[in-house]
This record gives sequence, structure tokens and C-alpha cells, in this order.
Amino acid sequence: MRSPTVERVSDQPLTLDAVLTDEAVLSTYRRMFAALARDSGAVVDDPALVDIAETLFAAFAEAGEEWLTHEQMRFACRAYPSDQFDNRLRVLKGLGAIREVFPKPNQLRYRASFTSVVGLMFIRRMMDDGGQSEMHRLLALEDLNVADPRTTMEEAWQSAVNLARAFRLWALELITLTTGTIEELREQAPKLWGTEEIARRAQGLHGTILTRWPELDRVCTDLRAAIYAYSDASRRAAGRLADSAGTTRNLTLLPTETWRTFAQTASKERLAAVLDGFVFDAPAPWHDPAAIARAVDEAPRPAPAQPTPPRSNLPDPGPSDSLDSSPGAAIERLRSVAESLLGEKSRVALADVLGPDWPSARRVLADLTTVDLRPELPYRLTWSDELTIDPGREPAWLSHGYLERVP
Amino acid sequence: MSTTGNAGATSQAADGRLPHARARAGGPLWLGAGVAAPPGMVRLTWPDSTGQALPVWPDGVTPSLLDEYQVAPVPVERSGESRRVLAAVLKCCWTDLSVDPWPGDPAPVELVLDTYRALIGRTDDLMRNWAIGALRRLHESAWIVMDDGVVVLGPRCALWPVESHAQLQELVRRLPGPERPELTVVGDADIVAAARPAELPPALGVGGRAEGGVAEFEHLLGAYDERRRAELVAAFMAVEYAAEPVQELRFAALRDPALRHTLGEMLALRGRTLIQHRDRWTSGYDDACAAALTATGPAGPSAATNPSETSTPTGTNPSEDRPATDAGTDVDAGTGMDGGTGMDAGAAPLGQAPAPAHGMRAASMRLGVSERAVLTLVLVHSVAIPRAEGLLPEDSWLSPHPTPADELRRHTQLPIGELEAALRILRHAGLLSQVKAGEEAGGYVPGPQFHRLTPAARRRLQEELILAAGPNTPLAAAVRARRSAKSNASLSDGRGSPAVDGSPL
Repeated sequence: MRSPTVERVSDQPLTLDAVLTDEAVLSTYRRMFAALARDSGAVVDDPALVDIAETLFAAFAEAGEEWLTHEQMRFACRAYPSDQFDNRLRVLKGLGAIREVFPKPNQLRYRASFTSVVGLMFIRRMMDDGGQSEMHRLLALEDLNVADPRTTMEEAWQSAVNLARAFRLWALELITLTTGTIEELREQAPKLWGTEEIARRAQGLHGTILTRWPELDRVCTDLRAAIYAYSDASRRAAGRLADSAGTTRNLTLLPTETWRTFAQTASKERLAAVLDGFVFDAPAPWHDPAAIARAVDEAPRPAPAQPTPPRSNLPDPGPSDSLDSSPGAAIERLRSVAESLLGEKSRVALADVLGPDWPSARRVLADLTTVDLRPELPYRLTWSDELTIDPGREPAWLSHGYLERVP
Repeated sequence: MSTTGNAGATSQAADGRLPHARARAGGPLWLGAGVAAPPGMVRLTWPDSTGQALPVWPDGVTPSLLDEYQVAPVPVERSGESRRVLAAVLKCCWTDLSVDPWPGDPAPVELVLDTYRALIGRTDDLMRNWAIGALRRLHESAWIVMDDGVVVLGPRCALWPVESHAQLQELVRRLPGPERPELTVVGDADIVAAARPAELPPALGVGGRAEGGVAEFEHLLGAYDERRRAELVAAFMAVEYAAEPVQELRFAALRDPALRHTLGEMLALRGRTLIQHRDRWTSGYDDACAAALTATGPAGPSAATNPSETSTPTGTNPSEDRPATDAGTDVDAGTGMDGGTGMDAGAAPLGQAPAPAHGMRAASMRLGVSERAVLTLVLVHSVAIPRAEGLLPEDSWLSPHPTPADELRRHTQLPIGELEAALRILRHAGLLSQVKAGEEAGGYVPGPQFHRLTPAARRRLQEELILAAGPNTPLAAAVRARRSAKSNASLSDGRGSPAVDGSPL
């Protein structure tokens, strides 16, 4: 048989934890409906089946007076496998949670039952806190009931008997847990144990009944005993858990919401009282003389407003005065260089005009190249393929060329 | 420990545990006239023979020993700035370099600020605010005493070893003097004189000398050779002053069980105990000592150490306030003309750390209500809630989950002004650490001091939180039941809690 969880829509990997969680949910379902079930196999065996019902109810609420057809229902539950869906629909129809809009043959549209939706809400709430908030509501309602002048003694008696029975069973369950394994206790107890408020409310109810109908003395004694037994069992379960939890787990036993409420609403004094009995060190940093001296040395020096670029230390204005910056100056200089090399001639060999040392020859060559590239100047360089190599002179490698004056 | 009877004063003198713990929790102790300092403390005696007492360290070491072992000390907030301001105070107060720096001479706060300004070469308001903040922190940690616009070197300055005085002299000599306009209407000497009326609070007195000051460990350390002794002292300083628990491997005195036992005895003499976190060690208040401290109410002076404290300062305070305030306004009128740096402007924020000696003591002895409240809030948000959500498995009160500053600002019952002041004080004391992450994110986590809670203290803290947050839950009822069972048991034992022995509660 395939495990139903394999087909879960959420695509979660199947882990031991997931199975355990599912099993816990299912066991609550079974316990809740034990009173209604015809045989022990009558409750769902996969929590997903309840999700299908919830999805369906949501779809019905959405649809309003349009109702839903079978296809639409299937579409709403498209995330679930069809055999699960069919199974659910059959059961829900069979039990009357989903019915035809009009009871006649070949009806295609369906509606959902209000009672089942409320029932499902109740189920979900029971799941959350094991019925603790239900007990709160119940007590509040009973309180109103017994205070109502129309209530009869018979009804009050019934209510007291019911409550006594509930508290007694509640206490018994806690006591069993307290003597059981610590893991089980940790898991279940916080859902079961009551706050002082529940006990107080129950005692208030008990007081009201007893004042109004002193004849109910006996059943009230029962109720009182049940409430005490329950408070005691709660305390004992918490005590055992607190002892076993040690210093790491205890804080987990109060829910996050309680902590938040405390942080947000508690007065300054109430907050401060927590640390009343604790001693902390006064601030006593050590300022070592060496550290003080270091801090002084590392003091941030004020930065000048405009950092100046680095300059040579020597007073050196450079040749900036000798540069003629007028527009024609560069051309004029090149012309004079070329003229001085050419003299009277219209063509000179470079080999003749270059000086004996490379640095000056280099400067002349650079000038001449510039001259050559200036079309407005009447001089050109022409190069031949000839190359002379003479290690003895400088430049040692010399390609032959001529400077010419062009007309 | 067998203390005999209720001979309060004598057993107190013989047993240094409680005074040492008290000095660690609240800073220098005040001693009545002629009262000897507890063993292991230096007595700083004033001319009227009252004085203050501060613990000294074995073999002349200081917490800077941690540097040699490359163990980080508790971080000092804005350390550079604080130290530069302390240097400026030293420059102003240590006028006679031929004698020890402490006690030195009083100097006006304005002179210190001018000196600091000359030191860092900045004159803006921001610098002034920073300097005043640093002065306040130095005051809170007893490095200086600041009162009514006058500053003197604080008791901790007496702990600088003599060998280091030369370095300090050299430092003071090379610090630039303040550039002050010649025309100050009221001279520095007059300010000091005005702040020092006839009934002078001892902290601002001139004169005073340091007496005694030998660590009380000789009977424990004497048996060891030089090397072992040095190892013990190093481990002692490391567990006492490192920010985080130190690794067992790095200190021989922690590795070797016999040496560790001696180390435990050294700590016990000071009301401390070793605390283990796996292979790391730190120290914390011995549970009994902590109980005794909180039982006396740490701020409450013990009769033995200071009989006159409650009466004397409160008696002098009102009379001394008046001339001091007058002096302040005089200066304001004077300097107001040359640039608006009035004395009062400086004195106003300083005034928040009021009153001389006893005020400082009361303030630092015990966290105020709002500080404790803020600390509780951070513990709830950073530890309790993450733990309730299963995010924080370890038995520790430190946490990687910061409490957003915004959460503290918006969703609590604390006024915003008190909150900011409390956060500042808690940060300064290492009880909170600030976590910075981006512009708005980040917040506060419990600080390194929470390493120093003993297992019993950790458990108690958790119980107190449960009792406060869910007083009506069965869990709280269980806590209460166990506590009453425990106290009944200890009563029937026939002896009180060991915490209260000998101390004149």
C-alpha cells in the first residue's frame, strides 16, 4: 500500500518528523470524533483529506449563489489527486456536508452546509491548543447562562456535572502524562495545562451556582474537587517539565506571544524588577600609559582645507619664461630649424646634418619628422632603402635619407 | 568558611570577599576616617583621613598584561578619544611632575577642553560634544572626578604603576598647551577656588596619598616558583579582565588542575569564581557573594567601611552648591564675550553626572531602573524569544539575534530620552553590545558581561523572566514552589545562606 503522504501536494520530502506530526494531528481528530464514529476506522487517515474539505468550503464561500458544479469543485481541488478528491466528495455528500442545491434528480449544482463549516472551524481551533480556548469560551458561556434569570436549577445542575466531568478527565490526562516519558510531556502538556485564569473562572462559576442554588451543594463539591485536582495536575506537570528542561529549554515553554506582550506592555518598574537580584560589573576600562601615549600619537590631525600638489623643494621656476606661446611660434621655430640645416642648398643628406651624439641627433630627427608632417611647411623628408652599419660611429645604424626643400 | 558570630567590623576586615565584589560592582569604595582598606586594596587617603579603596593586582601587573597574551580586553567605547581626553586632563591636573600624578590639582573643565582642542587641532562643536562625552565616561569609570566645572584625576589614576610615570611625564611635556586668549575674566585658579568652598568634598581636595596596595595572594602564590607564579597571575588577569572566556589551552594555570585550583582560591578571596564554557574559562561573582551584595543593596554603605558616608556628603552638598553655581555664571558672563563658549554650556551636560563622590558611587553602584528595564527588554528580544522559537539552543545569555533599536523605541513603555541614556550607560558597562548592519538594521545584543553569569545565576535569570512575563502560568507556579521548598530546606538546615556570613547587613 502506498503511503498517502507520498502524494502530498506540498512536495515536502517525507521525513520521520512529518509522519509524526501527521500522526499527532490524526490522533486528535480521532479523539474528537470518537463519540460520533460508527467504527474505529471511520476517521480520516491522512490530514490532507481535511485540507480538501476546507478547500472545498472556501470555494463554496467564494462562489456565493452561483453554487458549484462537480467540475468546479474538482477545479478548486486540482492540487489534490483525483482519487482522494472523489473519496472526500463521496463522504461529504453522504454525510450531508455538501448537498444538491435542490433535492431533485440530475441536479448539477451543489451547496455546502453551514454546520459543517462551523464544525471545521472548531476542529482547527481544537488542534491549536488542545481545547484550552474552548474551555475558556465554554466557561464564559456557562457563566452567562447560570447568571441568566431564566436558567433553571436543572440546567445549572447539568452544567456543573458536565464541567466537573471535563475537569476531572483533563486532570487525569495530565497526571498520566506527568508520570510518562518526558518527551511526551513536553509535547502535550503545554496544550493541556491550564492557566490560573481557567481555574479562577471555573471557581467563579462554581460560586455563582452555589450562591443561587444552595441545594446543588453536592454536585458543587464535586466540581470544586475537580477544579483543584486539575490545578494541581497542571502545576505538577509544569514542575516536572521545568525540572527536566534545565536551563535551556524552559524559556521555550512560554509562547513567543507572551514574551512580546510582556516586552511591550510591562511598566519600567516591572521590567527592572527582573534584574533586581543580579550584580554586574561597573565600567572599569583600563587606560594604560602606553595606550594613552599611543592614542595621543594617533590623534587625527586636522586636514588643511585645500591640499596643494607636491612641489620640489628647490626654487626652480623651470624654462617656462623662455617658451614663446604665441600662435605662430611653433611653426616659426620649425622653419628656422629646417633653414639652418639646409642653408643655401635645397637638399641635404641626413647623415651629414645629424650631430655625432645620439641625444642631439634624436632631437633633430624629431623636429624634422614634425616638419615633414606639417603640410604648410615647404620641406619634406625622403628616405632611401640604404642602411649603413658602423659600430664605430654614432648612430651606429643609419638609414639614409634627405631633407629637401620643395618649391 | 567559618565566620564566628556577628562581629561585623572585624570579620569584615578579615574577609575581603565582599568589599572586593562591591568594588568590582560599584567602583572605588569609600572609607571612613581611619578605617583600614580591606586586604588587597590600595587606600587613597585624604587629608581628613577618610579615603577610598581600590583593588590592586598581584605582582604589580595591570590589565595591560592581556596584550602580552594577545587576549582582547573588554572593548573601551571610543577608546582613542577617551584616552586623548584623559591625556588632556593629565596635562592640566598634573602640575608638579616631580611627584606622582595622583592626586594632582583640580583644573577647570574649560581648560581641559582647550587643551584637548590644542591637542587635536579642531575647534568645532562636534569635537566639544565628543570631548564632553569622553569626560563623562571617564567620570563614570572613576578615572576622573568631575564636578561643577572642575576636574581632578580619579582614584584609578593611582593604579598606574610607578615605572610608567616616566612615560606619562614625557607625554605631558610634549602635549601642546592650550592657546587661550589672555583676557579671561575669571582666572583658572579662581574657578577652582570658587568650586572649592570651605566644606570641601574629599574627592576634590588637594593632597592625599596612596597607602598599602599589595595583593593578598602571598600565602597562595608563595609556594610556587617564578614561572608558575607568573602563569597563575596571567590566568588570573585573563579570566578577570578578558572580554570573552579565554581558552584553556593558552594558559598553563587553566590547563593544570592543581594550578586551576589555586586560581580558584585566588578568585574566591575576591568574591569571584571560575566559570567554564566548554574549553574556555572566565570568572564571575560567586553566587553567595552576589546574594550578599544584593541583600545589602550594593548602594547601601556598610557600616564598617563607611560610617559617615550617608551623613557627610548630603550635609555638605546644599551649602557647596551655591558658590559653585555662582562661579559658573560668572565665567559664562566673561567668556560669553569672546566667542560664546560659556562655562555653563559645558557645565549643563556635565551636571547630569552630578554631585561629587557619593553621587558617583550611587550612580554606578547599581544600575538604575531604566537601565535594568532596557536590559530586560534586550534579554527578552534577543534571548527569550529566539529561544521560544527554537533558534537559540545553548545555555547562554549571549545571542546573535539583535534587538532592533526601533523595537525598543516604538514598542515599549519607556520614554525615549531615558532609553537613549540607558543604552549609553549599558554599552559603556559592557552589558550591551551594539550590532551594526547597514543604515537601519542592527540593534543591541547582551554584552560580554553575560559570559560571567554562573550556572545558578543563569538559571535564576531565566526563572525571574518567567515569573515576570507569565506570572499566572503553571510554569511560574512551579518556579515559586521549588523556591519556597528550597528556602524551607535551607532554614531547617539550621544555618542561613552562606552568603550573608559576617557582613553587617
